[in-house]
Amino acid sequence: MPELKVKGVTIIETFAEAFPMVGTRVVITAPTLEWALISARTMTGFATSVIACGAEAGIERTLSKSETPDGRPGVAVLLFTMDAGKLQTQLRNRVGQCVLTSPGSACYAGLEGEKKLKLGASLRFFGDGWQMSKVIGGRRYWRIPVMGGEFVCEDKTGLTKKAVGGGNLLVLGKSHASVLAACSRAVKAMAEIPDVITPFPGGIVRSGSKVGSKYKGQIASTNDAYCPSLKGAVKSELPLNVEAVLEIVIDGLTADAISKAMHAGIHAIARGGAREGVTHITAGNYGGNLGPHHFHLKEIVG
Amino acid sequence: MSALTFELKNTPDQRLDLSPLVPARLGDLSRKDIEAIPINTTRAKLTVGDAFKIKGKDAENIRFEGTDSRCDKIGAKLAGGAILVDGDAGMLLGAQMKRGKIGVTGSAGVLTGASMAGGEIAVRRDVGEQAAGVAVGETMGIKGGFITIGGDAGALLGERMRRGLVVVGGKAGDYAGGRMIAGTLLLKRGAGRYAGYGNRRGSLIFMEKPRNILPTYSDCGVMEFDYLRLLEKWLREQGLRIRLSARARRLMGDIAVLGKGEMLILA
Repeated sequence: MPELKVKGVTIIETFAEAFPMVGTRVVITAPTLEWALISARTMTGFATSVIACGAEAGIERTLSKSETPDGRPGVAVLLFTMDAGKLQTQLRNRVGQCVLTSPGSACYAGLEGEKKLKLGASLRFFGDGWQMSKVIGGRRYWRIPVMGGEFVCEDKTGLTKKAVGGGNLLVLGKSHASVLAACSRAVKAMAEIPDVITPFPGGIVRSGSKVGSKYKGQIASTNDAYCPSLKGAVKSELPLNVEAVLEIVIDGLTADAISKAMHAGIHAIARGGAREGVTHITAGNYGGNLGPHHFHLKEIVG
Repeated sequence: MSALTFELKNTPDQRLDLSPLVPARLGDLSRKDIEAIPINTTRAKLTVGDAFKIKGKDAENIRFEGTDSRCDKIGAKLAGGAILVDGDAGMLLGAQMKRGKIGVTGSAGVLTGASMAGGEIAVRRDVGEQAAGVAVGETMGIKGGFITIGGDAGALLGERMRRGLVVVGGKAGDYAGGRMIAGTLLLKRGAGRYAGYGNRRGSLIFMEKPRNILPTYSDCGVMEFDYLRLLEKWLREQGLRIRLSARARRLMGDIAVLGKGEMLILA
């Protein structure tokens, strides 16, 4: 079988294995885009992986004044967990502690969704009886008096059970700098795709994990097959000349959105990648038995 | 398909009850059946065919032409579809309606949109007393939906309203928002005396400083309200360009009752 190459970078014939998740979107607005971003970054901080953060979250994109319900600059945030109950708790805690508290913020539903999650419906109790409900065009909003004025928060937001988490790309290269540069380009390209986020720091994971460990109670541990320093010690997946591997994990509201993001990512990595020292693009899976969503790189590249 | 049109032939010698002329009732009827519907309000029998010339077919789009202030209950209990009144409407226009749209090019009588639960009413000119108020046999005024009045509104606008939004382009009469439970009145040219009397949780938004403010409203000062930004943007999406500056003086009241309502006076 001929090797599949894109601009000199080898695409391994494998697939990314991903899992069903539940997801939601909220829109945060503020007096300036800077403050909407501060609020959104705070809300999506410490949300890289459900393994220990409770949720995976990120900024989907910024919104212009004409795109937000109150005509102020805004940010769309996506939040994912493994089930609806956890998503509700995470949403309430994160909006309650990070958006309600952020100067001049307001928070609105960003998804219609077949089912609803409480947003202002639970945060309104912060108003201690002084909160006011307003229905505009069939949508309920809460006005909660706070020291900075009023926090306006929509009653509910939508939830989707069709979300997918764990779409991924692994990038192998001859130097750390080359892989980091290529992955940064890929994250930038994926940011243009709607309905997806890359929840890790700057969108990139340097410590991909495998399931389980030699230690009791440790549910995930380092992906030794991809650690360059262990090439000679374990059953490595890496050629000897690979010095670094970085991963991009993608969560999306739909499987289709993840495919599109992976497509954009692969082509962004390949653009100048080989010249810089990127050798391979591959993806992480568990043999195909765990997650129902399989994103085959060969199909995605085309 | 052209709108099902009812053109008033000449001024009838009694008030008319036009509540049967709604899409849900007319959809399956033949022209002949429609003409036989009684609309009299006295013992002198009068049918649709006696009073109106009928044109068109589309019962989801009903049009009244040449109607006057004695044509009552147009669109009452409307549950969908659109009604356009090219002329004036009488009392109880769109009363207790649930869904759909009603437009009036002229004025409407008393109890316009009384106890309605949803949908939209747009009256280009004036409305009578108790618009968005309490329909006969009901305990609450408007419970949802959106009313725009281009001209003036009579006394007791939004009396005992529970939910919904009423926009008045002209001046509202006395007791605007009287005994209101919740909901929003947006008054572009102010109101008469006793506005917000007995208001529990409702919002009265004044674009001009009202001349009389009840002593049972207490001043909370001026601040910015994102709520007004939200409302302005939604109104613009509905085709109403109303400039609400976000800054407003807030007065809370009526403290003679619950006191959690408000007047927002644009600053």
